[in-house]
Amino acid sequence: LSLYGDYCQQSCTFDVEVTSPPDDSISCLAFSPPTMPGNFLIGGSWANDVRCWEVQDNGQTVPKAQQMHTGPVLDACWSDDGSKVFTASCDKTAKMWDLNSNQAMQIAQHDGPIKAIHWIKAPNYSCIMTGSWDKTLKFWDTRSPNPMMSLQMPERCYCADVVYPMAVVATAERGLIVYQLENQPSEFRRIDSPLKHQHRCVAIFKDKQNKPTGFALGSIEGRVAIHYINPPNPAKDNFTFKCHRSNGTNTTTPQDIYAVNAISFHPVHGTLATVGSDGRFSFWDKDARTKLKTSEQLDQPITACCFNHNGNIFAYASSYDWSKGHEYYNPQKKNYIFLRNAAEELKPRNKKW
Amino acid sequence: MGRKKKKQMKPWCWYCNRDFDDEKILIQHQKAKHFKCHICHKKLYTGPGLAIHCMQVHKETIDGVPNAIPGRTDIELEIYGMEGIPEKDMEERRRVLEQKNQETQKKKQNQDDSDEYDDEDEPGPSFQQPAAGQPQAGYIPSMSQPGMPPGSGAPGIPPGSYSGHSPYRMIPMGGMLPPGPGMPPMMAGVPPGMPPPVAHRPGITHMAQVPPAANMLTRPAVPAATVPSAQPDVTKPLFPIAGQSQQTVSGSPHPPPSTSSDPSKPTFPAYTQATVAVVSPNSGSSTVSKPPSTVTSKPATLTTSSATSKLIHPDEDISLEELRAQLPRYQRSVPRQAQSTATAPSMGPVGGMISPQQPGMRHPLPGQYGGPPQGMPGYMPGGMPPYGQAPPVVPPGFQGAPPRPPMGMRPPVMSPGGRY
Repeated sequence: LSLYGDYCQQSCTFDVEVTSPPDDSISCLAFSPPTMPGNFLIGGSWANDVRCWEVQDNGQTVPKAQQMHTGPVLDACWSDDGSKVFTASCDKTAKMWDLNSNQAMQIAQHDGPIKAIHWIKAPNYSCIMTGSWDKTLKFWDTRSPNPMMSLQMPERCYCADVVYPMAVVATAERGLIVYQLENQPSEFRRIDSPLKHQHRCVAIFKDKQNKPTGFALGSIEGRVAIHYINPPNPAKDNFTFKCHRSNGTNTTTPQDIYAVNAISFHPVHGTLATVGSDGRFSFWDKDARTKLKTSEQLDQPITACCFNHNGNIFAYASSYDWSKGHEYYNPQKKNYIFLRNAAEELKPRNKKW
Repeated sequence: MGRKKKKQMKPWCWYCNRDFDDEKILIQHQKAKHFKCHICHKKLYTGPGLAIHCMQVHKETIDGVPNAIPGRTDIELEIYGMEGIPEKDMEERRRVLEQKNQETQKKKQNQDDSDEYDDEDEPGPSFQQPAAGQPQAGYIPSMSQPGMPPGSGAPGIPPGSYSGHSPYRMIPMGGMLPPGPGMPPMMAGVPPGMPPPVAHRPGITHMAQVPPAANMLTRPAVPAATVPSAQPDVTKPLFPIAGQSQQTVSGSPHPPPSTSSDPSKPTFPAYTQATVAVVSPNSGSSTVSKPPSTVTSKPATLTTSSATSKLIHPDEDISLEELRAQLPRYQRSVPRQAQSTATAPSMGPVGGMISPQQPGMRHPLPGQYGGPPQGMPGYMPGGMPPYGQAPPVVPPGFQGAPPRPPMGMRPPVMSPGGRY
């Protein structure tokens, strides 16, 4: 089951580069679900495209297909059976991409760019959830042009995550809302943000019984909050940690604090990865509250990351995220997606699970 | 105590006439009983301070000091501990004490100890209850009730408060905290920092800073020891699928109780309220906790720039993506058929737009693209990809399908040298 077992074991000094990466910054990455044999990676980019690669066991990547929007793609996700990919774009639409036929059709429409898209598979319904800068969260049956439900949010959607029956959305102005998806989606609780800066990324984690129990929230201020929905002892159980900062505070130079661009939880170990504007990724054990590893610094920010379904592969994208504004954007600069063997490095420090 | 000179009288609270062993405890008492905001439970330092806080933060006026005896409710008197007590009241006190001393030697001993516990489990004046054991009783029932209303149990830790109440900030007060909202900000205020190899429990280290050590520190031990046993199931998964959870949550201004009415099978609170379907921002709808103060209380500075740190982020309050999307180059590209199709056919399966970026990136596909024989790479850099010509790219996992006409996806126009 280990991906590229012998290929990468000794020579894992470098990570495998995905071939034919997009031509502009990569906004999102997602691996195919376990229902499909093999590993397929999709990545959306600011070049308006979403690409699909097959990742073979020896680490080779094979471009397979591509679809376009008329605006930058901000998010993408898979259906639970792996037959469809859903893409969300600045062009205010979301599309459903049938991989078998390589056809894509529009399935959602907002009044503003769609920042987050997730597939919801409930016992009694399935649908797509889209979060937009138009401050609404909409749910779509892909067969109908009108949303099944539209929920108003206090602010623009900045990021979201879904692990049935829970959904979390983080918005502008540090808004944070938890939704429950049983029977039908509804707002469950609004949470006072545990962070003091703009929300940027969020990922739900599960407990030992594999039920969603909390989430990790990242901000632009090099910090992640671990927040449980119903902890026995919130003051002790919830905490934040600093990450993606340069040099320590004990040096004379000011510390540079970078945004956390994405968070992903390892599907098996429950440990997490964070990637930042500083061009590094780090692995953490939230139960032991320790850092497991920090990578070398790449010369571009890392904008997206994800694990494959069994946690053997960690994919991350190196491209410009605009953290230093327009002046530092170089369209000529190549964008990368790397694959890393994640089977060993994300094992928890202590066996708390 | 009886034979002490009058000048050596024990510290006492002007608002309620209680005695204390020392002034520090007196002050704690005053803060918890008389200077505590009934809305947000923030502890102030004086009566006027409380009045100002209520006015500024909650837009409410208060007409008297809470839990004060009649005649001692003046909110404008600035009394702090023993300071500020009007002289005539001091004298009156001395007279009364003298009388009492002559009558009885023993004054109530344990009153000051129980004081601290009283704060937490009973909002009302309950001065006469002695036993230190009582507060424990006060804790546990509220912990095991599935529907513990967050407000009542709050041990005076002002949710989200940062201003100077450090003694109370980092104490993990057993399970008395409101579930969720309000607590996390406290943690955030103290950056634990996750020093790389070291597991670090910020909450505990900060307990060392707590001045009123004796009373405060003993408290957590009590609930900590009992809470876990008191609610073994209550803390379990919030989101298990369960149809029978019928706990209503509408109407509660605080977040819905954390568990359902069925403690043996922790389930989701019922979501019966239809109001949730349309929740307008900050409308204060019933299911929403107090409109998130976060919406109005932005971080002090978006750009944290100081001598010691600098936030690498544009100086704007919008997200990086919003900033970037404003650029003309990322505006919605209008599909222009003529232009794209002109180039496409000549390029085989993947309309090759040569991008300045990776001219050399030819990735010969293992024949997945079938038909078009040029063997063009799957993704031409700058990719205009009208898969129209190509058979659907079907990775092994996917079922094969016959080639299809263009799927109506308009290729973007931007590529052809259009990169600004």
